[in-house]
Amino acid sequence: MNVTVITKDEHTVVALRGRLDTTQADAVEKEVVEILDQKHSHIIFDCKEMDYISSSGLRIFLIAQKRMMATGGQLKLCSLQAGIQEIFDMSGFSMIFSIFPDLESALNG
Amino acid sequence: MAFVFGFFPVIIFLGCLFLLDSFKLVKVGLLLVCLGWGLTSTGVAYVLNTGLANYFSLDFETLSRYVAPAVEEVIKAGMVFFLIARRQIGFMVDAAIYGFAIGTGFALAENTWYYWQLGADFNTILAVVRGFGTAIMHGGTMAICAIIVIEGVQRSSKLLISVTTGLLAAILIHALFNQFMVNPFIQTLLIIILLPLVFYFVFMISTNHLQKWLEVEFSNEVDMLRMIRKGYLKDSKAGNYLSSLKDHFEPEVLVDMYCYFSLYLELSIKAKRNLLLKESGIPVIIEPDVKDKLTEIKILRKMIGKAGEMALMPLVRMQHRELWKLNQLE
Repeated sequence: MNVTVITKDEHTVVALRGRLDTTQADAVEKEVVEILDQKHSHIIFDCKEMDYISSSGLRIFLIAQKRMMATGGQLKLCSLQAGIQEIFDMSGFSMIFSIFPDLESALNG
Repeated sequence: MAFVFGFFPVIIFLGCLFLLDSFKLVKVGLLLVCLGWGLTSTGVAYVLNTGLANYFSLDFETLSRYVAPAVEEVIKAGMVFFLIARRQIGFMVDAAIYGFAIGTGFALAENTWYYWQLGADFNTILAVVRGFGTAIMHGGTMAICAIIVIEGVQRSSKLLISVTTGLLAAILIHALFNQFMVNPFIQTLLIIILLPLVFYFVFMISTNHLQKWLEVEFSNEVDMLRMIRKGYLKDSKAGNYLSSLKDHFEPEVLVDMYCYFSLYLELSIKAKRNLLLKESGIPVIIEPDVKDKLTEIKILRKMIGKAGEMALMPLVRMQHRELWKLNQLE
């Protein structure tokens, strides 16, 4: 799993590439927590190149959501692949997160 | 000061256990019921112990060392067995907390009785021994009993063996404590040191177990439900298996089995989602149609009968943890 962070205007875009599964989750969580510790007010997880997510991966998004809610910040997810979007829809996680079809709409939304 | 030492340690211990439950498996309402059961058990145990002592002309030593531990632990354990039978306990963590709460209720009522009976003689020394030692021992024995029984149930061991082992462990610890073989202060110190260690390992193992369970099942169930919704199930191993049942069941029963499987997957995914939300401290989602779906799955379970359920076992094993999981949605 590859994590890249870029800044666009007031947004911090965290691009996730690869599989977000149990074996990767701890390392990714560490990186995400470091980003959260920097107290950015707008974070976007760009999931365009994330092709798998398990419950350990979902837990990382939930940790980020909780932290952002507590600090009054905004967390968005964008560019979810069809299979992953389905996971969010079927499990009801799409009600928890703000999900955008692409990075452009997440930046403007 | 005697009042503080006599009553607060066990409450604080229970509070700490409750806060350590990272998946928030424990329901506050049930926790209060357990406390209430513990409080009531003291009165019932008192009546029974007095009755047995009079009937068999037991001296105080025999009563307190051998008879009372058995009587008290059996009464306390009644609520643990009830909660497990009602699928309200799923893992070692919630078993330990509910069990400890029963013991807490028992100890609080017992110490109140001592406080009221002894008045000024309920001094700080006695309060320390009763508050840190006896009270926490009462919580600990029931927590250990609950952990042993739930582990037995989850491993599909014979229920009678799990219940007997759990009860015997609780009675043995209680009876050993009541022998006062070492100085009461040392005994109290041992309880304060050993019990948190036991709980630490139990919580660590149970949380690890829960995370692995979520990880493996969640992904499989999502994949399976996705195939069902897209109409690809027939191309999978599960679909082939369902097709192979055609010769053994009436078509309408097969339809019910298919619906049961699909609905189970949907509800199971939602129950696991709520566990993840609880762990993250985000309010859980209860969809408005969940209640109807839970009713529907209960009806479907009846319609397909035992034979249908057994035939579906390779796909859905509706055992204790599965039923507990669905209970979490209610």
